[in-house]
Amino acid sequence: MDFELTDEQQLIREAVREFAQTEVAPIAAELDRDHRFPYELVPRMAELNIMGMPYPEKFGGAGADNLSYVIAAEELARACATTSVILLAHASLATFPVYKFGTDAQQERYLHDMASGRRLGAFALTEPGAGTDAGAGTTTATLKGDQYVLNGSKIFITNAPFAEIYIVLAKTDPAQGTRGMSAFIVEKDTPGFSVGEAEHKLGIRGSSTPPLYFADCHIPQDALLGGEGDGFKIAMQTLDGGRIGIAAQAVGIAQAALDASVAYAKERVQFGKPIATLQAIQWMIADMATQLDAARLLTYRAAWCEDNGRPYGTEGAMAKLFASETATRVCDRAIQIHGGYGYTESYPVERNYRDAKITELYEGTSEVQRMVIARSYLR
Amino acid sequence: MRIVVAYKWTCDPEEATVRADGTVDWSRAKPGLSTYDPVAMELARRLAEETGAELIGATVGAKGVGAPIASKAALGRGLDRVVIVEDESLREAGRSELAAVVAEAIRHIGDVDLVITGDSSVDVAAKMVPTVLAGELGWPAVAEVTAVTGQDGTLRVERAIPGGVQVLEISGPAVLAASADAAVPRVPGMKELLAAAKKPVELLDLTALKVPPGSAVMTVTGRARPERKARKGQLINTADPAAAAAELVAALRAAGAL
Repeated sequence: MDFELTDEQQLIREAVREFAQTEVAPIAAELDRDHRFPYELVPRMAELNIMGMPYPEKFGGAGADNLSYVIAAEELARACATTSVILLAHASLATFPVYKFGTDAQQERYLHDMASGRRLGAFALTEPGAGTDAGAGTTTATLKGDQYVLNGSKIFITNAPFAEIYIVLAKTDPAQGTRGMSAFIVEKDTPGFSVGEAEHKLGIRGSSTPPLYFADCHIPQDALLGGEGDGFKIAMQTLDGGRIGIAAQAVGIAQAALDASVAYAKERVQFGKPIATLQAIQWMIADMATQLDAARLLTYRAAWCEDNGRPYGTEGAMAKLFASETATRVCDRAIQIHGGYGYTESYPVERNYRDAKITELYEGTSEVQRMVIARSYLR
Repeated sequence: MRIVVAYKWTCDPEEATVRADGTVDWSRAKPGLSTYDPVAMELARRLAEETGAELIGATVGAKGVGAPIASKAALGRGLDRVVIVEDESLREAGRSELAAVVAEAIRHIGDVDLVITGDSSVDVAAKMVPTVLAGELGWPAVAEVTAVTGQDGTLRVERAIPGGVQVLEISGPAVLAASADAAVPRVPGMKELLAAAKKPVELLDLTALKVPPGSAVMTVTGRARPERKARKGQLINTADPAAAAAELVAALRAAGAL
């Protein structure tokens, strides 16, 4: 078993780290404090071919493997969790369905713009009454002539209203439950489609997550992605890959917290010596580093499975479950190591702590991940 | 136009540790492009974009400089191809010997109009190779270069000098050493890095190159730490800021610092 990254993966890590540390990290605290969406970073990431990394060059992507993409997400999250989720929601959730399920015409119309990063995407599944129970959505899409008419609402939609292309899940046959769900490509500014006010959140505060409203929103019939009734399957397959990216985000956040803790422990002097000489701190660092490494290995393994044509649903769920809970734990310990200073905005660990929690919640809560894993073992 | 960027693949001393006995442990240091070489590559790249020049990387050194990752790291920063001399006998080579090998590699490439190097290497920081290289080639050497543009076969070079900027016009080949802060190297794009593996890499055999003996041999015979002056330990009472400022200025003047 070879644990070495390829030359390309190593060089990609270094390049994204260089970008993240010089252009993203310096504004991370400001984005968080001001709840500001970093609109200037999207074209910059597009310029570096990061926005559509895992998609083929012929579609405008970089043609990188999934492991390289996951490494990029990790390095971005290490600098700024907000910036990493903008990429992940765009590339994993919005672009993937068009790549995997789009017709030639849909790919021609949207995929190049999305994979190149020229147009930002968003994925709209969650509703006020349908979170973990994603199949319980009540947004409908009714075929009238040669158009579908959307009615309903979505919440917590990452990248709205900056996104131009939305993958919207809606029921074409509500009586069929999950089998009656379909997926649609909806463009911003379509009449009847509006975006509400962004949520004020505990963390990833620069990530914009407002509700969407559909009131007799007419879209062309060829906006249907896949066939009628394919929506739930499209959503679940999309989330299978998406959660590997969230695992990487969690790893990046935890790494930032660990880096800060190591630096602080070496500098902070109490009882006449750095606290890094105290066994209590040493054991905390050891546990944080070990769990983080395990999280990283699970994440890379899941990406490797995807790259090598192996099933990755369970592996992705394991990675996301472990990495997200590890991130919360590591960030908690990071504040503990920093003591009172860790509780202030003067040090970044309080932001890491607030950012980490979302990784246990979105793209399937930890409970959902446990369901996925258990099902694969107990069927 | 043909531009060669001479670069180094080496370890950053920041990643090395010093053992209790004073020896250096490099085992945890990962090799990479010498810190200031991407600055040289950036200057070269800007000139190549302006003039349509071919950009060639050249590096020499011991086993490891020819590793695929080393070439990809350089090629991913805009070089069209690289030429490498990898020979274990170069591991303990002095600066003048290395410069002689680089000069021979440049002669092998042929029709080179300009060589750009970094300010100095991150591990040795001797600041000798650019000037010795220029001497071996019989070309002028210009250091502290902050910008270079091309105009009808003439190069316009800016360099940082105390108190300002000097502008030179150079016709004919030259070796330019880029100032360490001449430019912020652009971050390589993902497509550039992935395309690097497809670009040409030429490995030259050191023996076959028949590097002539250098016109001069320079050997570093010693190093010394700077003399540390004893601190004066003069305390200034800051209860009255204005008086304290005046006392500080007087003390600095007396010490010759102002």
